[in-house]
Amino acid sequence: MIKAMMQAFTNLFKPVHTVKYPFEEDVVLPKDYRGLIEYSEDDCIFCDKCEKACPPKSIVFYQHPDGSKEYKYNAWLCIYCGECVRACPKPGEALWQSEKKPLSATKEQDVNNEWFVWQRAAAESRENHAAMKKAAKEKKRQEKES
Amino acid sequence: MPIRKVEIRLEDMLDELTTFYDAKVWHFLTVNGIDLGDGKIELQWIFSKYGVKDETVLFSAVTAYETKVPSVVSLIPSATLSEREIVDMFGVEIEGAAKGLYLDEDSLTMPLRCSL
Amino acid sequence: MKKVVNIPLGSQHISLLEPIRFQFTTENEKIIEVGADVGFVHRGIEKACSETFEWKKVGYVVARVCGLCAITHSLSYTLAVERLLGYEANERIKYLRMLMVELDRIHSHMLCLAHVSENAGFEAMFMQIMADRELVMDIQEAISGNRVQFDYIAIGGVNRDVTPELVNMIHKNLDELRPKIDDLMERFSNNWSLSLKYKGVGVLTLDEAYIYNALGPLARASGLKTDVRAESSDFPYEDVGYEMIFESSGDIYARNMVRLREIINSITMCENIIDNLPTGEIIEKVKGKPEGEVVVRVEAPRGELFYLVKGSRKNFLDRVRIKTPTFSAIPAMMEVFKGSEYADAPAILASFDPCMSCTAK
Repeated sequence: MIKAMMQAFTNLFKPVHTVKYPFEEDVVLPKDYRGLIEYSEDDCIFCDKCEKACPPKSIVFYQHPDGSKEYKYNAWLCIYCGECVRACPKPGEALWQSEKKPLSATKEQDVNNEWFVWQRAAAESRENHAAMKKAAKEKKRQEKES
Repeated sequence: MPIRKVEIRLEDMLDELTTFYDAKVWHFLTVNGIDLGDGKIELQWIFSKYGVKDETVLFSAVTAYETKVPSVVSLIPSATLSEREIVDMFGVEIEGAAKGLYLDEDSLTMPLRCSL
Repeated sequence: MKKVVNIPLGSQHISLLEPIRFQFTTENEKIIEVGADVGFVHRGIEKACSETFEWKKVGYVVARVCGLCAITHSLSYTLAVERLLGYEANERIKYLRMLMVELDRIHSHMLCLAHVSENAGFEAMFMQIMADRELVMDIQEAISGNRVQFDYIAIGGVNRDVTPELVNMIHKNLDELRPKIDDLMERFSNNWSLSLKYKGVGVLTLDEAYIYNALGPLARASGLKTDVRAESSDFPYEDVGYEMIFESSGDIYARNMVRLREIINSITMCENIIDNLPTGEIIEKVKGKPEGEVVVRVEAPRGELFYLVKGSRKNFLDRVRIKTPTFSAIPAMMEVFKGSEYADAPAILASFDPCMSCTAK
């Protein structure tokens, strides 16, 4: 009993274990911390493998009518599992996991709505592209037959 | 872990379990349901043995959605919550198990049915 | 004159961190009847596992059932799927997985002990245990790269390897932790608020434990010798110095002691694992699609975790059944409440270490 009281008293004069996070930025991250996914669009071969592997679907590709693709990555939806990096045929060049800490989003950034709009647009673009391809194929076949 | 699967008829289920279950030998794991489609559902009662490696027994009975299923609570008191979960999730009727563990009491959804 | 009063505990209560509601019927101060409502945080994970996510991604979904035992959830699912695919992990993978599970057990038990002391009115002890717990959290963060949701276990192996610097760090932190746990053991057995107050309170007898299928530390404190680590051959626990720990009195004091001694046993096991890591690949390619029905049991910190996975060579699984430890311990909990004083209820509840997020999944 007395021992516990003594310890409680000595604990009063020990340094604190917590950090005032947004004001004091001295959080020590271990080596190889799993942080944000970073990418370089120049090296990407647009194979869609990362999109298929991503569990929360935080990488979404948009299909342009001319065949080129565009993608966006949502850092706030990402769970930092690293599946995309493992699925990537060019890991380290096109896609890699950094040690940077993800930042919190502000209200002005409006991340959610922007993302939903992007997701819907991407899904629509895919459908349109598939329909276009199908129509082209059909046309070709008809031309062949005639 | 190899499972010993015993297929029984639903009418015989209570008798079978009564002869089988001994609280000091078998640890009751859970009641499980699997929707097979076409109005049929497979109910499973799963047990494992204390102090023995890898011994699990699974009693399985196939029944229709509408059939009223007898409750095993009189035999295994800890089965109440598992049975209520099955009632909620599959919309089957088990004697004495009230709806409303996860869903509302008057909810009409049956989340784990494959047709819905 | 006897008077029957209904008193609810929860779903929001100062002594509870988790959304659970108990409905007590008390006679003067004695609890005579208990009702429980557990489904406040139902998220439909079982449905999501079989309809929204493909089988390769489900491991990451089930990890989100619970924050404290995330590793055991993804481990059980991965074991189940690997068995359906006919793959068996090599020794190194097994050892690394075992290491993470044991570290998880240490910090989960410490959290429970902290809550128990908080409910005894011992706030200073709560702070101290939570601060010491950081030692284990740091190890886990360094191994897996994440602090809470580890996402460490993948189908076919583990995602990251243990480096020599990490081995040194683990040894350093565990060496630092061991005397602290010994110290806690002394506190929990000699301090008046933590030992005398808790002896004979919230008793679960051995017979009740059998009837209500108690599990985990709750059962072992009553003398029911059940532990999945000894009842399954998935992991070579005997080789790393596992011993079953049990008490006989079944009260809060016994549950605390079981947890403390298990922490010490886990520390020993972690050290043995780290010293004797076999060599081999840490991740292997697994081919095929899951077919068949399989049952997996893994000992989570709170007791036995059960998974039933059924697949039929499709991208989506037919059924993933999750049975979490707290879910099956609730009937036993309700039995313990009967006959005890109402004022003891928060302390008894804390000593069960309930996890509602697991229960409602």
